[in-house]
Parts: sequence; C-alpha cells; structure tokens
Amino acid sequence: MTRNFFAKLPYWSDEAVKALAFLALGIGVSFLLLMIVFVLRESSLGPGFSMSLFDFLVMKPWAPMATPPSHGILHAWISTLVITGLSLSLAIPLGFGIGLFLSEVAPRWIQQAMQPALEILAGIPAVVYGFFGYVTLVRNFETWFDMPAGECLLIAGLILAVMVLPFVASTAAEAFRSVSQDLREMAYGLGVTQLYVTRRVLLRKALPGLFGAVALGLARALGETLAVLMLAGNSVAVPHSLLDRGQPITALLATELGETVVHSAKYQALFASGLILMIVVLGINVMIWTLKHRFLERSDA
Amino acid sequence: MLDTAMLSPSANVTGSGTYRRSVLRDRIWRATLWFCGVIGFLLPVSIIGYLILEGVQCVSWGFLFDYPRGTPLGTRGGIWPAVEGSLALASIGLLVAFPLALGGGLYLTEYGRSHRFNRIVRFLVECLAAVPSIIYGLFGYAFLVVFLKFGISLIAGGLVLALIMFPILLIATQESLRSVDDAYREMGLSLGVTRFYLVRRVLLRKAWRGIVAGIVLAVGHAVGSAAPVLFTASIYFSKGGLGLDRPVMTLPTHLYHLVSEAISFDQAFGTALVLIAGLLIFNVSAMLLRRLGGGLAQ
Repeated sequence: MTRNFFAKLPYWSDEAVKALAFLALGIGVSFLLLMIVFVLRESSLGPGFSMSLFDFLVMKPWAPMATPPSHGILHAWISTLVITGLSLSLAIPLGFGIGLFLSEVAPRWIQQAMQPALEILAGIPAVVYGFFGYVTLVRNFETWFDMPAGECLLIAGLILAVMVLPFVASTAAEAFRSVSQDLREMAYGLGVTQLYVTRRVLLRKALPGLFGAVALGLARALGETLAVLMLAGNSVAVPHSLLDRGQPITALLATELGETVVHSAKYQALFASGLILMIVVLGINVMIWTLKHRFLERSDA
Repeated sequence: MLDTAMLSPSANVTGSGTYRRSVLRDRIWRATLWFCGVIGFLLPVSIIGYLILEGVQCVSWGFLFDYPRGTPLGTRGGIWPAVEGSLALASIGLLVAFPLALGGGLYLTEYGRSHRFNRIVRFLVECLAAVPSIIYGLFGYAFLVVFLKFGISLIAGGLVLALIMFPILLIATQESLRSVDDAYREMGLSLGVTRFYLVRRVLLRKAWRGIVAGIVLAVGHAVGSAAPVLFTASIYFSKGGLGLDRPVMTLPTHLYHLVSEAISFDQAFGTALVLIAGLLIFNVSAMLLRRLGGGLAQ
C-alpha cells in the first residue's frame, strides 16, 4: 500500500525532498557556527571582560572568592599540558607498537580478536575510566607515596593514556597497513630484517598517517573531561610536580560552571577558557584534515 | 633509499658478527611488538573483567528497578531513575538528530552537485565531531538553559545530545550511501525514476545496515558521556518519572556523584557495570551489523 501512496506523489516531489534534505543539512551544520558564535559571545563580547589576555593566561591566579576576585587560568592550562603530555608520551610509543603489531606481526586471528578489544577500550565511557582509576590507582597511591589524598596529575595522565591508546593504535595500524605491499616485499627480498624495514620503509611511508594518529590522540586528550575531573584532584594551585594536584581546563569548566552567576566576570572567564580549548582542538582538526587529504591525494597518484 | 650499507647483514656470510647482531636486534624488536600487542589485549580485558567481578554482586533486579535510598542518598536502593533518564535523553537526541543527519547525508551523496560545497560541509561536520563534549555542555548551558530559558531539563539535555550525535550519524549515513555501487544509481536513473524513488527503493535498502550501525554507535556515545548533560539535564536525585521540562538523573552523572562525594563504592561498581554492560551490548550489536552488512554486500 505504501507503494501506491508514493506512486501518487506529484512530479515536484523530488525537488521537495531535495529541498528538505538541504534544509536538514543546513540546520545541523549551522549549529557549529552557532556554537562558535555563542561561546565567543559569552566570553569576551559581553560587557566588562576587562583582563588582558596575558593577565588571563599567565599573571592572575584563579581566586574568584577573593576581593577583588581574579580569574587567571595559569594553573588550568599548565595542568592540561602536563596531563596531555604525559598521556601522549605513554600512548604514542605503545599505540605505534600495537599498530605495527597489528599490521606486520600478528597472525590473522589475533588481528581479528584485537580489533574489537580496542573498540571496547574506546567505547568505555570517560566516567567509568575515572571511577576505575579512582578505585585502582588513587587508593594505592595514598599508601605507596604516603599522600594525604591520592589524586594527582600522574594518575590522570596514566588513565588518559589508556583512554587515547585505542585511537592512536587503530589510526597507526591503518597508516602502516596502507603502505604498499610491494615496498615491503622488495625490502624483505633484499634480505633485511623486520626492524630495518620498519625503520627505513614503514615509518617513512606511514609518516603522514602517524602524524594523524598523534593529532587525533592529542585532540582526544585535550578535550577529555570526566576522567581528569575525577583523578587530577581539582586544586587551583599551580602544580609543580607530577604528584601535585591540578585542574585541567575541562575540569575547571565542569567544576565551576554550575555555580557561576550568568554573565559575571567568572562566567566570562570560563567561556574564554572554553573558547581557547575549542580553538586549539579545531586547529588540530584542520591539521588532521590537511594531512589526510594530502596523504590520500598522494596515494591515489 | 637503498644504500649499500643496508645490504650488509644479508650480504655477509651467515655467522658473522653484524649478521648475528642484527638478527638478535630483530628478535628483540619482534618480542617488543608482541609485548605491545599483549598489553593492547590485556588492558580492555582486565578493565572489563575487574569491573564485572567487583560489580556483579551489587547488581540485582532490585538495584535496577529501585530509586536511590539511604542517607546520604545513594548508599542503598537502586538506579532506575538514572537508567530511565539516560534512555530518555538518548531517545530525544536520536529523534532530533537522525532525521537531520539522514537528510544531510542524502543531500551530500545524492543531491549535492558541487564537489567543493560537499567538501566544505564534510569538513565542518568533522570539526563538529571533534569538538570536546564539555564545549557542547557549555554551549547547551549558555544557549538552551539560559538564553532560551529551558532551564536544566530533559529537553535541553536531549538537544545537546542531538548535537553530539548529528556529526556521527551524518558521517555514517554518508559513508554507507557512498559505498553503494554507482551502477545501481546509473541503472535506476536511466530507467527514468526520480532520485527520491531511487533513494527509497534502492539506496536506502542497500545502505541501511551501515546507517543502523551508526545509530548504535552514536547512541552508545551519547549514553556514556556525562560532560554535556552535567549542566543541561542532570540532577542529583529523582524518584523517577519523566517530563520534558524537568531534570533527570543519568547513569554517568550518578556514577560521578557517587564517586566524587564518596557516597558508596558498592553502588558505584553496580552503576558502572550496568553502564558498560549496556554499552557493550550496543557496541557488539554494531559490530555484528557491520559484519553482516559487509558479508551481504559482497
């Protein structure tokens, strides 16, 4: 019966569907622009964002309750950098190793078992990672390092490394796999070892894809919220060591936004930090996009 | 690229020092890669295993279908309002995002004529997918909760989740439509049917598996993320019952509150297990669908 219904559609229905589809696309995509506009509007274009960028980023401490209140995010971006740096320095070597293992060494059945395992690792929600880190690492750190409270940048970085690992590993595996089989066979035919092939052929040919893997991991790590919120300790002091507590930008936003007066100076400072985070992540995304397309065009040629 | 130095290990007589050294190094290298592989496999298995072992004693029908009780709230009782809230949020998100994404994906693959336009839109959509979920939370709070005066409510949270799902769904739709062989399009159009007829009767029937897999992924992602609903939809405690203008409990934020305020780790293990068990079922069905789709297409 539905067939008859559709068969009686007037001749212009195709144009109507096209227009509707375009409308749907327009609504969806315009929200990206709206999002940027709104975060921009709430951060600096509102009345009275009086601080200079230098004060905001470096000079002022985060002390919204002080008189006069001051809203600097030095502690936040330093925490973000430390945690992200730590997690990537762990996840990149291990992720590349897993990528190489998957594309070069592993027998087929192991590859088929690992792919879903990595997808599961990527599918676990951040809050569960935070909880897992809390019950496994935080409690033990309290006894091992004799700390009053176990949360610290080190734990947040470790758990974050596990969280970005599947993204780095599967993108890296993809990059290694896309190196042409001919090159590999030629190299092995010359009698060199696998280590040599990896170093001199695979790493060079897969380089753009590997950059993509790093950039993807970086974007993931920078934007991660719940796990670092639960594990980094939420302290507004500027951290000095890995065992100090800290508060990455995302955790700052998640902690403070709910109890902030709308359009106050603090509210604007929060949106300004969100804006910085968004700009950095979008910049990374532009980089991934450029790399991917250059890579694709070259491998097509 | 092939300098003569690299030939030396094999060119030399077997048993020479260089040869043995490079073989040894290669052995170590292979062992390292196997080690990486074992870690990559053990990490998910041990995390999931640990959560199941610790959580399974807390999960029961009573835990699933009761609301939180005890003092402080959440030390006893169950998590039903959170399950209900998470499902409602994800359903609203999907109801809003899916038609938009389906229309958008259709336009990009079937109707859009300009390659340049398609590329720009795809770029914007990938940017949308890359934006951290806490930024969606900020936007939802400033725009929906404050500016449009929705308040912290189911509808505000649902719309934020719709925004998060939209790019995932659009990319899935576009990819699965694109993977339909062009021969079908040419055949259909040469028979004189409209594009819409072709889409309805041929392309969507070929591509639905990929689209459904995308839906499952997007829903799984939305159900698990706490950051975007923290300020737009979630509340600390509710006895259940849903209303578009009322806030709800959600599983991830409930877990967050249980842990961050050290209310009850037993309950937290139970909540975490319910959350990941639900998501695993989602993910596994996505995987099966993709396999099935791939198998039938060949």
